[in-house]
Formats: sequence, C-alpha cells, structure tokens
Amino acid sequence: MDLSLTEEQEMLKAAVRRFVDTEYPKETLLELATTGQNAPSEPWSKLAATGWLGIVIPTEYGGEGGSFTDAGVLFEELGRGPVPGPHLSSAALGALTILEAGTEEQKRYLLPDVAAGRRTISLAITEADYQWDESDVQAIAATDGDGYRVSGTKVYVYDAAAATDLICAVRTENRQHVGLALIPADAPGVSIRKLEGFAWNLAEVRLDGVQIGQSAVLSGRAMPGSSPFSGGWLALEQAVATAIPLLCAYQVGGSQQVYEMSVEYSRTRIQFGTPIGRFQRVQDHIINLVNELDSARWTTYEALWKLDTEREAADSVHLAKTVSSAAYYNACNHAHEVHAGVGSTTEYGLTLHTTASRTLYQFLGDPKFHRRRLADALGL
Amino acid sequence: MDFEPRYTAEQEAFRTEVQEWMRENIPAGIEHPADSIDLTYEQYQLRRDLGRKLGEKGWLWPTAPEEYGGGGLTVDHSVVLEEEIDGYNLSLPPYYDSGGRLGGNSILVWGSEEQKQEFLPKIFKGEIRTWQLLTEPEAGSDLANAKTSARRDGDDYVINGQKVYVGSAHGSDYMWTITCTDPEGDRHHNLSWFMVPSDLPGISVFPMDLLSSAGESGAGSGVKNIVYFDNVRVPARNLIGGENEGWKVATTHLELEHGTGGKIGRNWIVDRIFDYCMTNNRRGEALSKDPDVRERLIDIYIDAEIGRLFQLRNYWMRHSGAHITYEGPQASYFRKQSGLRIATGILDILGPAALTKDSQWGAGEGHIEAHQRAAIIALHPGGTTDIQKVIMSRRIGIGRQQRERAGALA
Repeated sequence: MDLSLTEEQEMLKAAVRRFVDTEYPKETLLELATTGQNAPSEPWSKLAATGWLGIVIPTEYGGEGGSFTDAGVLFEELGRGPVPGPHLSSAALGALTILEAGTEEQKRYLLPDVAAGRRTISLAITEADYQWDESDVQAIAATDGDGYRVSGTKVYVYDAAAATDLICAVRTENRQHVGLALIPADAPGVSIRKLEGFAWNLAEVRLDGVQIGQSAVLSGRAMPGSSPFSGGWLALEQAVATAIPLLCAYQVGGSQQVYEMSVEYSRTRIQFGTPIGRFQRVQDHIINLVNELDSARWTTYEALWKLDTEREAADSVHLAKTVSSAAYYNACNHAHEVHAGVGSTTEYGLTLHTTASRTLYQFLGDPKFHRRRLADALGL
Repeated sequence: MDFEPRYTAEQEAFRTEVQEWMRENIPAGIEHPADSIDLTYEQYQLRRDLGRKLGEKGWLWPTAPEEYGGGGLTVDHSVVLEEEIDGYNLSLPPYYDSGGRLGGNSILVWGSEEQKQEFLPKIFKGEIRTWQLLTEPEAGSDLANAKTSARRDGDDYVINGQKVYVGSAHGSDYMWTITCTDPEGDRHHNLSWFMVPSDLPGISVFPMDLLSSAGESGAGSGVKNIVYFDNVRVPARNLIGGENEGWKVATTHLELEHGTGGKIGRNWIVDRIFDYCMTNNRRGEALSKDPDVRERLIDIYIDAEIGRLFQLRNYWMRHSGAHITYEGPQASYFRKQSGLRIATGILDILGPAALTKDSQWGAGEGHIEAHQRAAIIALHPGGTTDIQKVIMSRRIGIGRQQRERAGALA
C-alpha cells in the first residue's frame, strides 16, 4: 500500500502547476471567460507543445502512454485554474473514445494530431431530452450513397465551440442502433452556437444534412455484416467510464484551489479587529469545504488506481463522479460564504470556479444519474 | 498509488499462514454481541487468550517495535492481519484496550528506556489490558482542567480524585491516567501521566448507566465506569514523561485518539443493512428494489466509502511516516457525523423495527437497535465533533499564519 504519488508524478504535478501559473494567470483566465475560448490560442499552443495532451494516448500513436493516475495529476492541476477546455474533451474523452471505437487506421490517422493539440475533439452526445442514456439520442444518420447524411440537434455540448472535430452520437435510420460519427466542426451543415449565461463552455450543435463517409464512423466492436453504428454506443460508454475519473480529478483541482483561496482569505481579511478565520462560524465553512475536497480526492484516486490495475471499477467510477460533482459545487458555495462580497466580484477569480462547478456538476452525468448507476453496480 | 498491500509471493504466503493460524486459534463463541454490554466474562477471557496468542507471534501489535515486544512487521503485513481478523468481526487487539493503544504509543514516544522495557512488552504481547482515564466531571472537552491530584510523597505519588466514562466491563490490569501535579501551576504546565496498577488499594470502580457505551469502534467497551482514587500510592517510577510535562504526552495520546491511527476494515453495520435489504421482502419484493430504500442505501454507501478511505489514508500516513496535519480529527469528525447520518438512513428504511431488539419484531438480531443508540452517543467520546473541528481549524491554520503541529507519534 502506498498512497503517495510517484516521484515522476510529483515532478509532473510541479511542472503543470508552474505552467498554469505562467501561461494561465488569472487575467488570462478572466479574458478567456469573457472574450473567447482556449483553442486555438497562444497558451493552447504552448500547452500542446508540452506533449501533455497525449498523456493517455499510447506512444505508438504519438502519445505519452501515461497511466490514468498520471493523467489524473495533470487534470487536477489544470482544474486549479480552472484552465478551460478542450483539453479534457479532446485529450481524455476524445482520445479514449477513438482508442475504444476507432479502427487501427483511424487511430493512426487521428491520435497523433490529438496528442499534438492540432486536432481537438468535443463529444456531442446529449439532446433536448437531456440525459446520458442511449435512448435519448435522436439525431439520425441516414444512408446516402456510399456514406451518410447526419441531421439532428445536439445541445449542452461541452467545449464544442473550441473543437476542430465533433464525435457525435447518432441513431441509424431504422432506429435500432446508436453509434458514433466523427464530424469536422467546419463541415457544411454544421452550425455551433455558444449558450450564453451561467453555462460554462456549452453550445448547441445543429447538424443539418451533414455528409460523411464510411471512414467517419467509429464503429467499435460492431459485428461483421451488421451496421457500423451497432458498436459505437458501447464503446462510448466504456471510454466515458475511464474518462470520468479524469473529469473528477479536474473537479478535485478546482476544489483544492478554492480551499486554498479560502484559507488564505481567512488569515488576511480583518473584521471586528481580527482575522475572520478566528470566528468558528467562518471555520465551519472551511472545514465543510476541506471535507468535501478530501472526499472527492480519495474516491477519485481510488477509481484511477482501479483503472490502472485493471480492477472492476464501475462502482468506484460512479461513486467518484457522484462525490466529486457535489464536492466542487459545494466547495465553491462554502468559499463564497467565506469571501462574502469580495468573492462575488469577477476580478477576484472565485466565480470562474463557481461557474465551472455548475456545468461540470452535470457533465457526463449528474449525481442523481450516477447514484442510480451505482445502485445497479452494487447489485441492489 | 496503491490502495492495497502489494501481494508479493511472500505476502500471499503470509496471508495463507495468517488464515490457517486464525482458523485454528480463533475459537467459536467469541463473536461480537449486538450490544457490547452483553459480552460475557467467558467471552472476554477467550478474547484475552487470543490476544496473548497473537502477542506471542508478534501479531497483536504488528508494527510495534520488536525490541519492546511488538511484531516489527511492515504496514503491508499489518494490513493483511487487520483484514483477516476483520473477517471474524474482530479487530486488533480483539478486546477493548484503550490504555494499551494510546498509552502504549505515548510511552513509546515519551517514556524512559526503563519504562519502555517495563510496560511495552506487557502491552504488545497482550499480557495486560489497560484502560485510559482522562475525563472528569469538570474536565470534558477541556482536558487541561483535570483536577485529579497526584502529590509527591517520598518515592510515591498519592492520587486523589474521580475519573468518569472509563473503560469497559470485566476490569483492567493497568490504568493510564492524567493528573494534576501542581494545582497552583500554569495551565498546560501542571499535568502528569501515570501507569497505575489497577489493584492498588484505594481504587474503586462503579459502573455507569448510559444509553449506550459503544462509542469506541471495533472491540466495544461493554460498560463505562466511574473510578475513584482515594489516597492511592503509586511508585514515582510509574510517572511517564516527567512531572508537569503531561500536556506534551497528551498531544501524542490525543493525536491517536482523534483518529490519526486510522483503521482497516469493513463497516459492519453497513454490510448488515445491505444484506438485510437484499434478503428481506416488503410487499412481495426485496426491500432493496424499493426506490426510496435504494436512495437511502446509496446515501449510506457513499458515507461508508468516504469514511473507509479517510481511515485507510490515515492508516497509511501513520505507518509510512507521512506528514500529518488535520487528517486525524477529520476522520474522527467524519466517522461520527456520518455514523449518525447512517443511523438516520437505517431508521428511514426500517422504521420502528430499527428500534427494538425484540426477537420477533426487531431487525438484525439486535445489532440495528444497538447501533441506533450508539450513533448518537458516539459523537462525544474521544473528543466531541465540535472539538474535532477546533483542532482541524488550528492544524489547517484557518485565521492564523502559524499552523498548530500534530502530536508526536513514534
């Protein structure tokens, strides 16, 4: 038993933290939040140059071949920013989905570009009936000559506006299968509209008769002779199950950051002639916060360890997402209680996390969804 | 990271050896009763016998230093032992031994070489059972206000006073206690610890009548007592850590009592309620298929998992020498608060069947009923939940630049 990070992981952690401090200072993050997106951009090119976007991609496809725990360390540090995507969407979800569902040719063609940050991917799964279940996918891939014509509306798509490519969940014409199609974001018939407000990097993606070839289908383990869309959903679920703990690690990083901000503020903010952290009411908020943080941290790292050691991980994955989603959300709430008015100003930086925590609460399934899955995994 | 011991071939062989040994040496009839108050004297003796046998093999206190009678084993070995004995619903040691666990480690840090040789082998080999005596009527959360006095008289100290919420059923061999050695002295600079033989003249023990005395997890204490000291003469060599140096000894004791020791093992009550809901029907269907019951079971499961991970983390930190700050009181706080939430969840699921040990109408052979009582009472022993939060705040450094350090551990 050893619950410490390896020496290499500690080095990675320190390197990513330095990188985020240098390339994504608060001013940059605030600017990205108001004006645009993190890719393409100057800091994104530098992030791509580090090679970290290939962390889960095997070396034979141009990646670093890291472990899930290595990737967890990376995403935890990015979450401290919070550095906006599409790193998680592309380097974790996108890469893992291609690894799970792509043919050897597709992997060789796509993954080196994903690892290098030249190609960025967003997963377009959910629709008007917002859920992460197969039954809610209604976009249709209709046979059209040698290829297909895809139509439908994807909504609440995370990182879509920053991605060069979309992996879309689509249903076959006969409605029997839900599979995956890789669609360039600039293909004719694709229109992407960012959703404004408290949502964080969510977009609507309209697919209006988008033409794709056979090679755009990520078919997974579809049986020979059956529809190439018949293996996609299962592959997607398997890929998402391994990517979820990385999203959790990102939430852990965000929670860690607002925890440290809150402790620091409790020492420096003077009211009634004393640091506010001397008041037990204020202490309670931070104690609640650190309990949330550590709950998320240890459920997440145990899930990553199970993935790395090829143990049955379903229960741990659902547990980690249930706990981490609520933890990041609550951590931000507690931090606001500590900071009061100061925390509400955008220039302070806390609201970046508050905003991220709301969207990530739901992304890849909210606690309610994962609690149901957890009950199933436990055989209840 | 590695959340389990690494099972090398040597490790697997050790597990097999442990399993075989336990099969041969753990007698029937040793089981944990629903309420530890029902543990009979015969069962207690069976547990002590087991403790002595484990002690001979160095398995009673696996990681304690060999030179003082401990096992001198690695964390991984000790995890194997804890896991295997957990399978018998027992823990190490297999009986209430708060003074051994907390006093033993305090002596390891603060005792003289002579004192270590005197007391530690007896503890680590299971020859003695020791109670801790801290709380007094006027010293609850404020332990430093202890008034039980120890006055030097020649080669002895003479102890007078009263300790409450002490120990267990079936007596003890030693009492590990904190006293005031300078009534006029400054706070935190007037306290001293003693290892007191329990059979000295002037000590009397009276059981208390409590809603529950199952505050200590694992072994269960059976009953809590009031202990009176009436001119009890204790040899001066039994004073541990120096006269008026008791607060620094207390920091070690309290560090462990506040959860830094960690724990390996399942949550028995959670296993029990899951099992109950999957094997008992309501309106023709397993309870676990009822959507409301599932919700509560998942609440319980999540609390239990987080609690398990906090304990596992602390266990690892303690045994690997990692830098500990707030983690002990955090685990203690979480265990207590989640224990009460779990009890609420069980009450939601079972209704009044959770509240009676009636053999016909009570659920879970009395275990559930005992847990309902214990969950609320367990908030206080070993430091109230509020005290745990105070310590966490100091260790984190909330509102202060200087972070309080954790108590020294061996």
